[in-house]
Amino acid sequence: MLGFLLARQAGLDDPLRLRRAESTRRVLGLELNKDRDVERIHGNGINTLDIEPIEARYMLSGGSDGVIVLYDLENSSRQPYYTCKAVCSVGRNHPDVHKYSVETVQWYPHDTGMFTSSSFDKTLKVWDTNTLQTADVFSFEETVYSHHMSPVATKHCLVAVGTRGPKVQLCDLKSGSCSHILQVMFAGHRQEILAVSWSPRCEYVLATASADSRVKLWDVRRASGCLITVDQHNGKKSQAVESANTAHNGKVNGLCFTSDGLHLLTVGTDNRMRLWNSSNGENTLVNYGKVCNDSRKGLKFTVSYGCSAEFVFVPYGSTIAVYTIYSGEQITMLKGHYKSVDCCVFRSNFQELYSGSRDCNILAWVPSLSEPVPDDDETTTKSQLNPAFEDAWSSSDEEG
Amino acid sequence: MSRKRQRLVPDGFGLKRQRERGQAEADPLRGESGSARAAVAELVQLFPRSLFEDALPPIALRSQVYSLVPDRTAADRQLKALQEQGEIRIIQLGFDLDAHGIIFTEDYRTRVLKACDGRPYAGAVQKFLASVLPACGDLSFQQDQMTQTFGFRDPEITQLVNAGVLTVRDAGSWWLAVPGAGRFIKYFVKGRQAVLGMVRKAKYRELLLSELLGRRAPAAVRLGLTYHVHDLIGAQLVDCVSTTSGTLLRLPET
Repeated sequence: MLGFLLARQAGLDDPLRLRRAESTRRVLGLELNKDRDVERIHGNGINTLDIEPIEARYMLSGGSDGVIVLYDLENSSRQPYYTCKAVCSVGRNHPDVHKYSVETVQWYPHDTGMFTSSSFDKTLKVWDTNTLQTADVFSFEETVYSHHMSPVATKHCLVAVGTRGPKVQLCDLKSGSCSHILQVMFAGHRQEILAVSWSPRCEYVLATASADSRVKLWDVRRASGCLITVDQHNGKKSQAVESANTAHNGKVNGLCFTSDGLHLLTVGTDNRMRLWNSSNGENTLVNYGKVCNDSRKGLKFTVSYGCSAEFVFVPYGSTIAVYTIYSGEQITMLKGHYKSVDCCVFRSNFQELYSGSRDCNILAWVPSLSEPVPDDDETTTKSQLNPAFEDAWSSSDEEG
Repeated sequence: MSRKRQRLVPDGFGLKRQRERGQAEADPLRGESGSARAAVAELVQLFPRSLFEDALPPIALRSQVYSLVPDRTAADRQLKALQEQGEIRIIQLGFDLDAHGIIFTEDYRTRVLKACDGRPYAGAVQKFLASVLPACGDLSFQQDQMTQTFGFRDPEITQLVNAGVLTVRDAGSWWLAVPGAGRFIKYFVKGRQAVLGMVRKAKYRELLLSELLGRRAPAAVRLGLTYHVHDLIGAQLVDCVSTTSGTLLRLPET
């Protein structure tokens, strides 16, 4: 790293190079740290997490009991040992709380004054953060599996909602209507929509993944149908009808665009993860091996941002598997949860990963600091010991 | 724990390792980072020709190639390049959508010609081998492709299906197939289950690779233990854990 710093000082290297090298190094060193904790509020599994994109300071979590909690991730105490406290929460005794499990929460992309949450009680609620009241409620006919609001949209305020029906609905926050429906007679989805995601590159492009094994890319301005249905065989085993194109050999559970929006990652219940070129829907045929996936509803995974080789963090049973996106190599499996992991989010400013699982815990994976190997020197860290680990009895040497 | 982590950081970032790691001993099965072509050639040696009286071309599986070439994406790309050059044919084995068999084109051609010698469909098969095989390197063929591009009539296509060169996929499309491959697939599926059963019955559901290979193969395993072990490792049906006593095969928990 000193070499990188010197090169940056002398102008030999682009300033971005040092940043990317150090970010990658930190992501490769992610592990559980005894100094970082997230306060445990949920009494049931955690289904979704979201970190606000403006400051990356506040995190929302939605649980299977309908509870939504807001955490402050910033460490403003001077101690290394820090618990991320819950600032406020929408608990079971709140008048507007969701009746059933909350499936997706998302911050309003432009400021932290608002967030949206959707749940199995067939509603999408828009909340005001400061007063913790619902500003608006959209009701649907079927249970809502997923929703997403475009992070780069300036010309529209649409929220895409995926429900158990085959129609993708778009709700407009400005007008309060949810009448825009993406479904064309034969070319729409046929079963429930398990995941939706807007492209971070183009504000009108939406990707949807459904239990009928298809992933479709839509342009919401176009009324006539979807842009592309991705095909895992890239047209090799071409059938006459485009509707036979499948993205996976099972349900498609999760969708994630890479941070530059040029590629799309999908996971399916056929235990595969695939990388697609988002401009033409072509399968890049990167082989990640077996990515175990037996989740019946959506799986929320995430990609890193700011590293030189981008990584994808996928919940794999009760662990989190880390792969490099473009080469498909498995880097490591992060073990720590007791039950299956449902969601994870990446905090790109600090290269930290937060994951929520069915064992009601949110774990924080923090880059391990590079300390010297313990065998070489004897400098102990007793002075920085957490008060909980210090023993209260006096040393026997003193008495003798 | 921190020592294990430092190994993840690539050298390109200039992180010097505190200790030098000794060279990992080359296991007999793992650690081959050669090309896919060398892997296929090696696997083809493992195929028991005498079992099928030389009537079947030696078949290797894609999952076996993954066990010899650890980088899957690179292995896929190399296999695709070999397929495009026409050196190998990839066959869909019916029991699993992902299981692909790999055969050298020369072996395939000689065996198919030998199998259809003197039969009534010999003419159609020879025409197929001469015109379609070099032109189209895919796993499957469509109706219009066969009739228009290659000029096959319906009775000729029926003859090809009878010969075992084509297998019906759905109305108007066919998979490429190997005549007589049914026996191979039966032995393969039974053998795979038998070897998995050997690992499952072991204490703690894990076995050292050297011990597994040293055991007597159960009667259901006709294709050889090494053949099946390559396939299980590549298909990720067992986890490979490297220990100080060699590679350990462990059944995944899920």
